[in-house]
Amino acid sequence: MNPHAKLICTLSLITGSTITISSNHWVMAWTGLEINTLAIIPLISKSHHPRAVEASIKYFLVQAAASALLLFSSMSNAWTTGQWDITQLTNPTSCLLLTAAIAIKLGLAPFHFWFPEVLQGTSLTTALLLSTVMKFPPMTILFMTSSSLNPTMLTTLALISATLGGWMGLNQTQTRKILAFSSISHMGWMAVIIIYDPKLSILTFYLYVLMTAAVFLSLNTTKTLKLSTMMTSWTKTPVLNATLMLALLSLAGLPPLTGFMPKWLILQELTKQEMTVTAVIISMLSLLGLFFYLRLAYYATITLPPNSANHMKQWHINKHTNPMTAILTSLSTTLLPLSPMMLTSI
Amino acid sequence: MTYFIFFLGLCFILGALAVASNPSPYYGVLGLVLGSVVGCGWLLSLGVSFISLVLFLVYLGGMLVVFVYSVSLAADPFPETWGDWRVLGYGVGLVLVVFVGMVVGNFVGVGVQGVNTVDCGGAVSIRMDFSGVAMFYSLGAGMFLVAGWGLLLTLFVVLELVRGLSRGAIRAV
Repeated sequence: MNPHAKLICTLSLITGSTITISSNHWVMAWTGLEINTLAIIPLISKSHHPRAVEASIKYFLVQAAASALLLFSSMSNAWTTGQWDITQLTNPTSCLLLTAAIAIKLGLAPFHFWFPEVLQGTSLTTALLLSTVMKFPPMTILFMTSSSLNPTMLTTLALISATLGGWMGLNQTQTRKILAFSSISHMGWMAVIIIYDPKLSILTFYLYVLMTAAVFLSLNTTKTLKLSTMMTSWTKTPVLNATLMLALLSLAGLPPLTGFMPKWLILQELTKQEMTVTAVIISMLSLLGLFFYLRLAYYATITLPPNSANHMKQWHINKHTNPMTAILTSLSTTLLPLSPMMLTSI
Repeated sequence: MTYFIFFLGLCFILGALAVASNPSPYYGVLGLVLGSVVGCGWLLSLGVSFISLVLFLVYLGGMLVVFVYSVSLAADPFPETWGDWRVLGYGVGLVLVVFVGMVVGNFVGVGVQGVNTVDCGGAVSIRMDFSGVAMFYSLGAGMFLVAGWGLLLTLFVVLELVRGLSRGAIRAV
């Protein structure tokens, strides 16, 4: 991609995210979201493949519709209450519309259909950007308006997201689509707790960003786009595949890895709020996700035929590993004992 | 008169319907024209006449003109469209012009919000939206910069998406 265009797009991504995160007026929040949407479109279509162009168009249409809904909700609130403060959203119609708008932006089910296809159309690094950086402003808006969201709708969306994220991920062989469904199910976990304890939701988001960045960067080192590539990638980077297994199990939420912390705390908070049925259902549904994480982890570390010998590591490795991968993988596997510190510092 | 505002809203929906249902974008854009014109009328009914004129100018005089120029380079010779709806268009245009003339000349009352002065009436009302635009240049300078950057970014994004001629994203691989 043209370096000047790439610079403009990257700077605009940072600018748009910063504007939304630091705003207290609805129009600035919307402006930041629109700048983000515009700036990432060339990054999605930078390979000029028809699939990438289709992915960028799908992304633009969905995000533009969600931004319009957000603007409409803020404007109807300004019409009835006379002020544009983000934390003072009181009109019931506005609250419902905002919940729907943020759900569309984040990719919560049943507004999730665009997400796997958009991730599949781009490279692994752009998919990482889409899953982490582009989710940051809508999560911030969700955090700021957490007291004015519609609880029934959010819990329903969260449970449906956990269901569809787990179930539809089972049949996938492309790693980007698997990670898209993992993102959908994690967003469901974040949405279920946002009203009762918004800080837990933010903690879940930060840890999800850590873990998914570790997985994406590990996959990017070996350019593993499908499961069959993963089965033979251990010959190139055996240690990376071993740590990839740990990072994937951390995403699945297994103790004693980091991914267990948000799920544990969310279940605890849900039971404190007397929502035990919701807690049981959502933890059962994440078992569906566990299956495909286990399958990915299994394929990452397995040594299968037709490799004849036990140890077939290539003698010359030309896969440059990003140092960030190592840092993120260590963080995503070892942060669980630091839970008290994480809870009090968020 | 609430029935007039309702009629404007109806025309808006019809315009949007024309855009969405027309198989040819070259004729569908006429629905956009209708929608934006009645949208301006809607804004007038709220009393913000300056913003209504800005919408008219920017949408019809800016974006539609750019659209027309860009599709005139890429139009197909025989686009398919609805049946002959010129007669219907003439009838709708005539009714609309008569209505707007009656509203502007204060022959038919419109529910205008805002303070009534001595010589106001019809579509002439106190402009409450000037101060917002003035704020853009004084206290709201930050928003001005951000909005300007957003619009400039749109230009860069569109240029980046359509660059490359035959190597670009518009032609299939």
